[in-house]
Amino acid sequence: MRLINMIKLSSFLMLFLCTSVLQAQTKKGDVLIKNGTVITITDGTLENTDVLVRNGKIDRIGKNLKAPNGVEEVDATGKFVMPGIIDAHSHIAGTSINEGTSQVTAEVSMEDVVDPLDVGIYRALAGGVTSIHLMHGSANVIGGQNETLKLRWGSTNPEDLRFEGAPRTIKFALGENPTRGGRSRGIQPQSRMGVEAMLRNTFNDAIKYRDAWNAYRSNKSSRKVAPEYSLRMETMVDILEGEVLVHCHSYRADEIYMLMKVFSDFGIEKLTFQHANEAYKVAPELAEFGASASVFSDWWAYKLEVYYSTAYNAAILTENGVTTSINSDSGELIRHLFHEAAKTQKYGDLSDNEALALITLNPAKQLGIDNRVGSLEKGKDADIAIFDNHPLSIYAVPQMTFVDGVKYFDIENDAADQRIYIDPESTVEDVQILYSNDHDRCMEGANVVNFTDLFNNK
Amino acid sequence: MKILRKTLFRLLFIIPLIGFTSNLKAQSDPTGESPATRTYAITNATIVQAPGKLMEEGTIVITDGLITAVGKNINIPATAEVIDGTDMFIYSGFIDGMSNTGAERPANPERPDNLFTPDPPNYYAGITPENQVIEQIKVDENSIEAMRKVGFTISHTVPYGRMLPGSGALILLRDADHPDKLILSEGSSLYSQFSGAPGAYPGNTLGIMAKFRDLYKNAELSKNHSELYASNPEGIARPTRDRVSEAFYPVIEKKQPIFYNASNSLEARRAMRLQKELGFNLVLGNLQEGWDLADEIKSTNTKVFMSLELPKEPKNSKEEDKSDEVKRLEERRMEFYKKYVSQYAELQKAGIKFGFSSIDARSSQLKDNLLTIIEHGLSEDQVLAALTTNSAELLGISKIAGTLDEGKIGNLIISKGPYFEKKSQIKYVFVDGEKHEYDVKDGSKVKEGDETPATNLDAILGAWNYEFTTPQGTQTGKFIFTNESDILSGTMTSSDGTPDTDLQNISFLNGELSFDFSIDAGGQSVDIVVVGVVDGNNYEAEASVAAFNFTFPIQATKDEA
Amino acid sequence: MKKFISILSVLVLLPLFAVAQNDGGIVRADNSKFALTNAKIYTVTNGVIENGTIIINNGIIEAVGADINIPGDAQVIDYSGQEIYPGMIDSGTRLGLSEIGSISEANDFREFGEITPNMQALTAVNPNSVAIPVTRVSGVTSTLTMPAGGPLPGTAATISLFGYTPDQMFAGSKGVVMNFPSTAQRGWRRRTPEQIEKAREKAQETINDAFDKAELYAKIKESDDARYYPEMEALAKVVNGEVLLYIEVNSAKDILSALEWVEERGYENVVLTGVAEGWRVAEEIAEAGLPVITGPVLSTPTRGSDAYDTAYKNPGLMQKAGIKVALRTMDTENSRNLPYNAGFAATYGMGREEALKAITINAAEIMGVGDQLGSIEVGKKANIFVSTGDPFQTSTKILDVFIDGYKIPMTSRHTELYDEFLNRTPGVNKNPTKVDG
Repeated sequence: MRLINMIKLSSFLMLFLCTSVLQAQTKKGDVLIKNGTVITITDGTLENTDVLVRNGKIDRIGKNLKAPNGVEEVDATGKFVMPGIIDAHSHIAGTSINEGTSQVTAEVSMEDVVDPLDVGIYRALAGGVTSIHLMHGSANVIGGQNETLKLRWGSTNPEDLRFEGAPRTIKFALGENPTRGGRSRGIQPQSRMGVEAMLRNTFNDAIKYRDAWNAYRSNKSSRKVAPEYSLRMETMVDILEGEVLVHCHSYRADEIYMLMKVFSDFGIEKLTFQHANEAYKVAPELAEFGASASVFSDWWAYKLEVYYSTAYNAAILTENGVTTSINSDSGELIRHLFHEAAKTQKYGDLSDNEALALITLNPAKQLGIDNRVGSLEKGKDADIAIFDNHPLSIYAVPQMTFVDGVKYFDIENDAADQRIYIDPESTVEDVQILYSNDHDRCMEGANVVNFTDLFNNK
Repeated sequence: MKILRKTLFRLLFIIPLIGFTSNLKAQSDPTGESPATRTYAITNATIVQAPGKLMEEGTIVITDGLITAVGKNINIPATAEVIDGTDMFIYSGFIDGMSNTGAERPANPERPDNLFTPDPPNYYAGITPENQVIEQIKVDENSIEAMRKVGFTISHTVPYGRMLPGSGALILLRDADHPDKLILSEGSSLYSQFSGAPGAYPGNTLGIMAKFRDLYKNAELSKNHSELYASNPEGIARPTRDRVSEAFYPVIEKKQPIFYNASNSLEARRAMRLQKELGFNLVLGNLQEGWDLADEIKSTNTKVFMSLELPKEPKNSKEEDKSDEVKRLEERRMEFYKKYVSQYAELQKAGIKFGFSSIDARSSQLKDNLLTIIEHGLSEDQVLAALTTNSAELLGISKIAGTLDEGKIGNLIISKGPYFEKKSQIKYVFVDGEKHEYDVKDGSKVKEGDETPATNLDAILGAWNYEFTTPQGTQTGKFIFTNESDILSGTMTSSDGTPDTDLQNISFLNGELSFDFSIDAGGQSVDIVVVGVVDGNNYEAEASVAAFNFTFPIQATKDEA
Repeated sequence: MKKFISILSVLVLLPLFAVAQNDGGIVRADNSKFALTNAKIYTVTNGVIENGTIIINNGIIEAVGADINIPGDAQVIDYSGQEIYPGMIDSGTRLGLSEIGSISEANDFREFGEITPNMQALTAVNPNSVAIPVTRVSGVTSTLTMPAGGPLPGTAATISLFGYTPDQMFAGSKGVVMNFPSTAQRGWRRRTPEQIEKAREKAQETINDAFDKAELYAKIKESDDARYYPEMEALAKVVNGEVLLYIEVNSAKDILSALEWVEERGYENVVLTGVAEGWRVAEEIAEAGLPVITGPVLSTPTRGSDAYDTAYKNPGLMQKAGIKVALRTMDTENSRNLPYNAGFAATYGMGREEALKAITINAAEIMGVGDQLGSIEVGKKANIFVSTGDPFQTSTKILDVFIDGYKIPMTSRHTELYDEFLNRTPGVNKNPTKVDG
């Protein structure tokens, strides 16, 4: 090739590389994790096995792999290597949780309020968590859209945390939370009857909206007038068409059953119940519908609707063929989800793999990202957590956490102060003591107090 | 012919009396307040015509509101009032890119009975883009004088409100008897904030972002519909008048930018995300955390007005044996303080030409803040540009303002000593060719302005008439503060007969007044914390109800009794 | 015919008779004499007995050892391959005082008023709270149930989780709870340092006033003219050393203030509770010789600038500095997670042995009932549990629990629901033979 053409070609290539580097904003890494006990979830547990990561993906799992030039080696001898943990119900990394002023807010989205500066993100990484489902709160019957994130700590740009390609999901809520909201605002719903009515009414409105817009689009006239646009109804239509996965906060067996019937009536097939403390009572129905459940390990009794719970919930559901995950709904619990999953061996008899699937493959399925994460398989994202003991042991301490093959947590290099933003006007020793159990972050900012009582001194 | 001339001559006297264009107003002034002449000449001064363009021993002449001459050897008009500019420095009047100067905060909207929180009336939701800031402008607003005193002559004033308060206008910070006389140009911007409706939709950022998208898309559709109908109405459904959508038309046509109050980096990013989705021209005002945003600002062609507010410099402890941990934490805290004060120089280096916005700053701190910014990397010329030429360019008024050139508007700052010297003071400010003179102490002592935030307890002692609105209704009464034997205490009374409550934990520092009180709600004791700012006779505060995560605003005015 | 029918009815009802022998399906607590044999016994105070036997009778441990004579009238239970531990003690819960957290009518741990040390948590305990069986089947057999509220919210009591009246549950220790004035931020509230200092000063004054009065009252209360002053009566007990004083204090600065205050006042039987930042001032606490109840271990750090595992490491660091540490969950319905709090403390520096002591003998000794609870020794109350292995591990099952010598039914609402719904009858189809049209 003539020199001048070579120069042109290489500058063209340089330009191409530069632009593609700009587009590929998420960091991707290479690493060879050697000689650990590899818990794949889908293909058994392999001893003395290596995992090779190239450009953020799992390239090979096998024995005696060699590290290509420049690839860092991590010695995992005596350690346990598992897929990064996925928390299907989280409220860390968000600046607002509830748009609680209306009972239907399908148009709002948590992607607008992602907060990459929350130290809780690092603390979750230190617990082996690599992805979270940042959810809208549970103040509304039809809440806002959630956002699936990867915990790429260190950036100040919310976009860097986005789990690119993850399906859209949305939060629904049944039971005491929305009805309490209705009662405090003097609007519907104030009972579980009202909750069902609101769901059906909104879906019917969405169908009407869809018809009107379909008619407009198929109208060939150049002088057609568009119907009113509603971001809310657009989202509801997307739910009807199966493009948005519904995750519904629910507790009582009867309301879980109700939602499945409503979804059957409207032809919506995919559904995950969140918390679902009484899901075990309708496990056969859930299995038949094909709905999944994302539950607590053992929280109960903090509200009336969870008074009749059992910690054996996850075990019962799993034994009855319902895809189940265990979530945290808490910035504290997320740091030891591996311990929460292990409780299914106390409250039930789940096998090691079944228990670990509750925090890896199963939540991945519920979020529609199981083609990318949730197990250690060739071709999947290199979201990996390494422990010094079997993760289901109480004595396990997370050692390293990788997202896209990049190491974001290493216990050997764990500086105490991980904050990426510090208020210059804050005091240096800023002590915060939280006295109450952070159970219902789901209701944060939902303004559900009854103020008529509050100011009525007479 | 003679009669015609006579009639015309008479008409000349009659016509001027009809309008208020008062160039031909009665020339007698028994108050003696009007100036003797509208021509001024300042001689022998160092004239900074534009950043980096100095003229020593220069003379500048202002006639009837315009700069008519700038130079070394100028013929001074006979009617001119001559000001000796020896040792003085003259600069083009500062331009404020986004503030509430001149606007009076309106009373909070009353909560309607039977408020349907999911769908409140637009005025309650704060969706009033059709409003114009002129409706809030008061010629005797304290802020006009306060900003003029520190050198500002033009302000892009935006209205108070919530999510979409209305359109902003460029106003001259001059004396006037009618707000219209302050207007330089209207409709300079559509103003937007991340400020939610009180207890109704949209209540916070989540709802605000979604509602904005909804409003914008519907405005686009409404525009198409109206245009279609206007070109030929036959067979088309009649469009309903929709002022909210109409307010967006100039934005959609790219004739009017949207100014966002982006006080932190996440808000700035949200505004830029909306810009990417919807395509409007975006200006970020009041940017306080810009150090990571240079690339995104450039890629979205966003214009920027940086905030003039800086955080207080952190004070490290003076203890002898500080632990390593404390040392580390103090270092990190200082690191972040540096980010705030160095970001101006950094953004400048990244090629972003920005102006300044004073909306969150106190006028008494402005000069000190500018000097701090210079200490951390921005040059004096660059600061001056941000205050004058950049702002003028960003606001589209370069032809008439920003520099001291013939033909431009008569906005000047005359400072005893170079403005950027700590001890120098502003002696004169000309706005629209009108002279304002300030007392300047001779000697090295810098005068403590009246703007120094009051720590003096007298500022709060006495009775305040408060008002706040909750779901229960509007409540009024008094806060009474007393200072007995050096103990500050307070009581809260209610005009509806509710028993008096003691105020606890009263604190008044640097203009910020806060206190708690408890109320008995059906046997349960509920704590309410009130935190707010005292500004003269006005107290603007926010009350938070501990256990319920609920806040509401409280306003109070001092009893003049 | 009649005879036939009556025989038939007997035959039909026979299964019911059989059930009736089990008292209609209820399993009752059993306080027979027991011999628990062939187990690995963790006595906590006297080492581990590899293959041991425990004799339980009349509510106490009559004998424990490798070679014990088994009385003929004892019910022998062979626990080969299993482990036996002293019942776990949760040194800080609201168990019994709160049934459903969000319903105010169901909560009895908080009373109105700032100075209410006379409020007795013990009396308000609901012995039939659903959470009690749920807790004890996990091996937690005693708790320190605490009131909450203002500076002096009430008197806490140690209870064992079996009994039909609070008095039957009472385990012999009471203590006045005091919330030491705090300089920390409380979650959402952003107060300036000046505001915090003002609030702290006021709270300190309130407490000092109360105790000044109590000291005077302690001297005069026996005289005939003394007024009836229940609040001071309760505090006088602290002054006289008759009850413990539990001081809830968490930030490092406040702990140091509390230590000063205790020294000034000269009270005995003081216990520090909470102590979330105890590790920062461990030396000072050790020097003062005060015991500490801390937890929950599963907490987020107190400072944004703290390492993620600060709360996990806290108990271990304090214990290594020579402080006697007991652990608490500060929970109500999940007090059963006590062994896991201990497990994390063990993993992050405390070590298994010390962590076990922190939920058994240390707790008992701190509460002043170390002669009755907290270890497997002759003469102590028979509060023990039998497990398939290490109770800190989640895979371990608790097989049996004894409280005050009663063998407790190993059922709770949670287990009953598990039994009913693991294989629900009917499943999805109610009448499987019916064909839907």
